[in-house]
Amino acid sequence: MTGLVGFYSFGEGRENWDASHFIHYGLSALQGRGQESVSLATIGPGSTLHTLGGKGGVEELFSSNKTSIPKGFIGIGQTSSYADDYLVHVKAPYELVLALDGKTDLHENRGEATKLFARQLSQLLHSEKESLKATSMLMNKIGGGYSFVALTHKQELVTGRNPLGVKPLETGSVGFDIAAVASETCALDVMGIDHTGPVETGEIIMFTPEDIRGNTPTTDPGNFCSYEYVYLARLDSKVNTLPVATVRNSIGRELAKAHAVKADVVIGVPETALSIANGYSQESGLPQEPGFMRTGENIRAALVPTQKERLIGVQLKLNPVKSAFEAKDIVLVDDSVVRGNTLRNTVLNLKRSGAQSVHVRIGSPALVSPCPYGVEIPPKDELIAGNLNEKELASTVGADSISFMTIEELQHAIGLPRQNLCMRCFEKGGTTK
Amino acid sequence: MRVMGVGGGAREHALAWKLGLSDYKPEIFWVAENRNPGIHKICKDNQGELRVGRITDPKTIVRSARGWGVDMVVVGPEEPGFHGIPDALEKEGIQCIGASQELSIIERSKADLRRLQWENNLPGKLLFRTFKNAREASDYIRKNIGTQPWLQNIVIKPARQSGGKGVKLIEDRQIYLHNEKERFKEAYFDSLQASMAAYSDIEDKILIEEKAWGPEYSLQCFTDGKTVLGTPLVQDNKSAHDFDSGPETGGMGSISGPDMTLPFITREEYDKSLKIIEGVVEAAQKKTGKSYHGMVGGQMMLTENEGPTIIEMYSRLGDPEAINMLAMLKTDIIDVFQAIVERRLSKLKIEFTSEDAVVVKVVAPSGYPERREKARGHPVQVFETNVKRNGCYLFWGSAELQEDQQVLTGGSRLLTLMAMDHTLPPASARIEKTVSSIQLTDGWGLYHRSDIGTEQLLAKRQSEAERVRRLYKYMEERGILGSRMEWLPNVGRIDSSQLLLRELHGPEKA
Repeated sequence: MTGLVGFYSFGEGRENWDASHFIHYGLSALQGRGQESVSLATIGPGSTLHTLGGKGGVEELFSSNKTSIPKGFIGIGQTSSYADDYLVHVKAPYELVLALDGKTDLHENRGEATKLFARQLSQLLHSEKESLKATSMLMNKIGGGYSFVALTHKQELVTGRNPLGVKPLETGSVGFDIAAVASETCALDVMGIDHTGPVETGEIIMFTPEDIRGNTPTTDPGNFCSYEYVYLARLDSKVNTLPVATVRNSIGRELAKAHAVKADVVIGVPETALSIANGYSQESGLPQEPGFMRTGENIRAALVPTQKERLIGVQLKLNPVKSAFEAKDIVLVDDSVVRGNTLRNTVLNLKRSGAQSVHVRIGSPALVSPCPYGVEIPPKDELIAGNLNEKELASTVGADSISFMTIEELQHAIGLPRQNLCMRCFEKGGTTK
Repeated sequence: MRVMGVGGGAREHALAWKLGLSDYKPEIFWVAENRNPGIHKICKDNQGELRVGRITDPKTIVRSARGWGVDMVVVGPEEPGFHGIPDALEKEGIQCIGASQELSIIERSKADLRRLQWENNLPGKLLFRTFKNAREASDYIRKNIGTQPWLQNIVIKPARQSGGKGVKLIEDRQIYLHNEKERFKEAYFDSLQASMAAYSDIEDKILIEEKAWGPEYSLQCFTDGKTVLGTPLVQDNKSAHDFDSGPETGGMGSISGPDMTLPFITREEYDKSLKIIEGVVEAAQKKTGKSYHGMVGGQMMLTENEGPTIIEMYSRLGDPEAINMLAMLKTDIIDVFQAIVERRLSKLKIEFTSEDAVVVKVVAPSGYPERREKARGHPVQVFETNVKRNGCYLFWGSAELQEDQQVLTGGSRLLTLMAMDHTLPPASARIEKTVSSIQLTDGWGLYHRSDIGTEQLLAKRQSEAERVRRLYKYMEERGILGSRMEWLPNVGRIDSSQLLLRELHGPEKA
């Protein structure tokens, strides 16, 4: 998964903006979408694309390259959860750099598929006079699930969301001077840019020195990623016009209604599940207590590549607040279970610290299938819930009970029609619709 | 009766259209700087003619008016007013509908407008400050940003209308972007100063105002100097592209109706806005000793500190807002003009339709507004039967009718489409169906804003209005509307509004 940012300035004096500063903070806000590799590109004045990329997080890149940060008043950036995943730079026939969230169906391998997409875009911008129409046709033709933002040597910024709409993309502007796109609205907020609305399914927007043009979005209502609401998106974002915080609260409430259990206290696993636990507490009437303090950086366990890093990440992350649950029956709320090791660690930590019983409630259905659109849900063999039933699972992680939301409950909590939600990862060999 | 119009945009085409519908059957004459195809046709159909000439040159205008022996002149754009065209005509004994040179200061000088408001402590104003040069502006801000918090979030404007120099909004809210914002601010001050240096007629070159947010709307009025008569509210959309993004334009389209207010502005806010405009007209007349007769308008915004607030003033009708208003006007326009000329507007029963909402959308060539030279000279083709079949009206703007009847783009806003319906969204849909009937035959692009008049954009305005209304009502209920109260560590409570009043009036009056 990746986080995308695009920054475009207009008008007199635009050469005074330094796009990299905006991209820097926009990407920082999107690090929840990945912090393995980060890259950016800028342009202006002139026709040279300046690029920079590096391993690790956004701060690392910007602080270790202070003198070589690309300058320009237009730019794009990407923060990625994949190792060595940088902006694709196509030099000919039409020079451009491209960032993409999701996966096109041009190749088995995500990186190759993105490169092929960038090359086709370059080819077409070179040969077609009606570039908007042609880009729109390209996006309709190439399947998969993706959003992208590209920057060309002619100071054009091209951005789009394919008709499936599985990957989010939002637009924003400031006064008459600045327009921007980002994977999530939180990045726009952090850049000080007013959110104007989502890029619609099948919509392409082209920012050029002459104008801003958009095609007519498809009437396809889209097939939005439900995991964005559960875990991926930041709490202060809106995804497809729904506030993530509101959805997470309803997930908690739904969970409390359908999976009630007798207990003394509700504890959420930081960070994502805290708002779900909050909804659970409000609906059930059980008090919610802060159960853990985090140490070190906010590492998103599900997105960290190796088993060892994951375990260190979890241990660093969660130091229990013992007094909150000593000798108490606990409802432990988490957003999802991937390999189960995070959960096992957490449950054991609670019990070692004196919890009487731990009932695990998960704010999403069991993850049983990998994501075809590039979210790092591991192969089926590594998904604990795909291989064990609830009872086996409970005993494996050391919980007194465990239960997951059903697909119907999650859909109800999100509040969108079933056919508009992609739930492939929750379905055994399921289809998109 | 013979009437002459001045100006060649879509607003003037609409004025000519309305004159052509009058029961007085006036002969219609016109002077414009472009051969506007629409005005040209109306003049021809009404025993008159369109002459191409400099509309800011009093000699040209007076000579034409006298030559044609017209009874009345109506001035469309602001520039002729700035150059004293109405004054020159009246000196010759020709009646003119249009603000005189001295009174048009309310539009020409944004700094003078603010000063007028603050000197008279009128409601609906924004904190402001003027500077003679860029250095003064940046020094002042740097020195005072700690003790006058409003300086963090400002709008920078040229203090006087100045060839294409626009409004810049600098919100300095993110500490990590502070240096970035400061650098941009100072560079813009420098560039403003460079472009304003050519104007020796005013001392202040740079104006800064507190940044306000909220829904904007225009209230256009007729006035004879004694009465200010409000017309239906119109909302214009200044950004070039959908979702209010992109560069500032003269206006890409506007909505009004189906009654005197807009779906997101209350009647009470309408009345307050009218009072605010009356106050400015009165203060301007008092200051200049001249009578204001013609059109006047407020580009208003609901703001959290003041409620209805003036962003800028018009000394004329807006373009495209005029088209909304004229489409809704049921009274004969000659009756309105005569009432202005004879100073009896208070007796006029002016009527507007209450059944129809109006949507207006501008079609512009790619390149407008930032690369006009590229947008100029492209051949236009219009499928008029489609326009009519969809119930749309077409008003030509920046267009040039050639000898061979071909129309070429002029580089600015090409034309405006207007449609009426019971509510805004179906009217907008009519125009959407019609835009493809307008093409440039050389393949150069045209654009317009598809979002104007849609449910989606209305909902956005509505939500903005509700949020800002809650804030200003809170202040109103506590009797502190108009104050800018803050508490600063080591300084205590300050009210930037009182500070400014005291500075302008001296301590005793504030």
